Amino acid sequence: MRLLSLLSWLISPVALLALWALLANAGLFPANLLIPPLEVWHSFTDLLATGELQEHLTGSLSRLALGFVVGALAGLAFGTALALSKTVEAYCAPLFHTLRQIPSIALIPMFVLLFGVDETFKIVIVAKTAFFPVALATCEGVRAIPRSHFEVAAVYRLRWTTLVGLIALPAAVPAIVTGVRVALTRAWVVLVACELLAADSGMGQMIEMGRQMLRIDVVMVGVVITGVIGFTLDFGLRRVERRFTRWQSR
Amino acid sequence: MNLKSLRGLVLPLLLLGAWEYASRQDAAGAYAFVPLAQVGAAWVEVLGSGELLVNLWASLLRTCTGLALGIVGGIGLGALMALSAPANRLIAPLFHALRQVPMLGWIPLIALCFGNGESAKLLIVSLAALYPMVLNTFESLRQVEGQHREAARVLMLSRAQQLRLILLPAALPGIAAGVLQALAFAWVTSVGSELFLSSGAGLGSLMMNAEAGARMEIIVVCVLCIGLCGYLMSWLCTLLSRRLLRWRPTR
Amino acid sequence: MNAIAHALPTTATHGALSIRGLSKSYALKGKPMQVLKDIELNIQPGEFVSIVGASGCGKSTLLRLIVGLDQAYQGQILLDQQPVHGPGLERGIVFQDHRLFPWMTLQQNIALALKNHTMPATHKDRLVAEHIALVGLSGYEQAYPHQLSGGMAQRAAIARALVNKPKVLLLDEPLGALDALTRVRLQQELQRIWVQERCTVIMVTHDIEEALYLGDRVIVMDAHPGRIREDLRIDLPHPRERDSTVLQAYKQRLLGELVGH
Repeated sequence: MRLLSLLSWLISPVALLALWALLANAGLFPANLLIPPLEVWHSFTDLLATGELQEHLTGSLSRLALGFVVGALAGLAFGTALALSKTVEAYCAPLFHTLRQIPSIALIPMFVLLFGVDETFKIVIVAKTAFFPVALATCEGVRAIPRSHFEVAAVYRLRWTTLVGLIALPAAVPAIVTGVRVALTRAWVVLVACELLAADSGMGQMIEMGRQMLRIDVVMVGVVITGVIGFTLDFGLRRVERRFTRWQSR
Repeated sequence: MNLKSLRGLVLPLLLLGAWEYASRQDAAGAYAFVPLAQVGAAWVEVLGSGELLVNLWASLLRTCTGLALGIVGGIGLGALMALSAPANRLIAPLFHALRQVPMLGWIPLIALCFGNGESAKLLIVSLAALYPMVLNTFESLRQVEGQHREAARVLMLSRAQQLRLILLPAALPGIAAGVLQALAFAWVTSVGSELFLSSGAGLGSLMMNAEAGARMEIIVVCVLCIGLCGYLMSWLCTLLSRRLLRWRPTR
Repeated sequence: MNAIAHALPTTATHGALSIRGLSKSYALKGKPMQVLKDIELNIQPGEFVSIVGASGCGKSTLLRLIVGLDQAYQGQILLDQQPVHGPGLERGIVFQDHRLFPWMTLQQNIALALKNHTMPATHKDRLVAEHIALVGLSGYEQAYPHQLSGGMAQRAAIARALVNKPKVLLLDEPLGALDALTRVRLQQELQRIWVQERCTVIMVTHDIEEALYLGDRVIVMDAHPGRIREDLRIDLPHPRERDSTVLQAYKQRLLGELVGH
């Protein structure tokens, strides 16, 4: 019974796949526009066999990792400072909130002119994309630690290491993890966009090359893998998020 | 007006100063960091020639059309999924699979199928608006409290009346939040799609042309415009939803 | 108003409720849990019946069965000799939380109860206005629920339940969430409204004093499984004195029984 209900979720994807295969093989559309699913699968295995796919993947993921770590750490530090210090807030908050209105995608042309089309540009833009959500979430997370928790800590005369480790961090971390998750998925989207526009390697570049050479199969493989990676990143961090929010109701 | 409230201006002014300083160092600096005066002149230039307004209008129009399509489609699809279990079984797996692909990742595929004209861009913008609308409509309809449903049953309202008078109004705050998200996505995607499919008018196309001609000052003008418009639109949207949801307690 | 009513009303002709052999069980973690067992209850038209009991004795479940929100039970629930199937407008209910719809004004909330009646709009408007006046909320017609205090919202909920002229009014701890003073005031109001409307009322409460003050009968229930322990007739005319010695004596007795010493 459980199995049957599980299988019913697969009805529509399987139906779509079947329809796709049927239409592609019926030859109603030009063969280079509607590629049968089996051929897309073959392109995937080909790309895998030649090592091309792995190369593009490593390129993208290492950029993502580097840019994200830089941006997220900076965001963490800045967000904490913004939340704790009135001075930092007075000097930085207006600029911070103005700059965060500007979507990363819109900055691509500007960053290309500033940093060229090489690695620097991509890493800077990934770092920028990661910085703002993490900083904002950290700031709000730290600010939302209830004052009453500190009063309880004072009553029991807890040491400040205990205070930070057992009270401040657990209270702020759920919000921060959520911010990190949002930042990571956005950074991935923006990175792929950058690679589509200007790159010599990476998932985005693979898709763009496929498009220019009218290889829809390559484009589809790229699109699917990009989606799978985005999903995996989001899913993984959701698990982490749940671990940290177990004590919250719902 | 005391001096302390001006502290927020210090950092921006310092940054502007550094920018101006960098632009005066050498030719390479002037190339990347155009002098502020030149940015000012660019404002006058693109405003005067009407270039900015034409392109801005094109981007805005596409955003609004795509947003409207996304909202209507998203509420319809989300409501269908929330109210009918069989429909949810059929639609949900496809929807959640497709939504994992980054919006701009669709561009090459869509461009291959629909060309790189306005219809391709509009499709992308509508899709970008559709996702948050479906998610928010679905979630907020699902979360309508059991006590509201029970009260509606006790008052003997029909299914249609329950949907119109109870479920939809109860879900409205969630749906409004979805519209706000959808607006942000639609705006970014509208400008973003122009970067990739830079035929036709739009702020993104204007930026790409400026990039090709190394006209940094025009890019700066465009970026400022994009940020400002995005901010203004979400502000308007918030105002509108607050008016619409005035039955909620104000905090 | 003080002149009205002694003992059982003679005006009410509808609203006789009889419950026969009513049992109800839930599945709790796979195991069946009996919440109500062999409930037998006959309520006269126009009677005010209070039900008290420890938490978990199934008194709220009993109301949900009568109002028709839950139809999985054994036994019979008859209203004027007709079996009850699902919710119906001849049974009104007020919950502990007011359950007004927050996006409608007070007036719209009450008018919603008349939605499916085929009467002219002017007639509906008049009914709504009358019932707003009945619960003393005239002047607040256009207020949204969040602008009302807890007591006012509960009055509005009472008006919404009464506007259909139900034969039976069910009250599920209607004053349970209110502060002590508002509660006393609303108890007086309830008494006045009931004397005026003369419908059958069944009120579930955990407040013994409230049960005694308002009820013609007080049903005491036991838990695990929920069953009727005692059916007490309070032969005092309405409106009653809160500190009447008869009520005090009953109160001491019931407290002793329920708390156990």
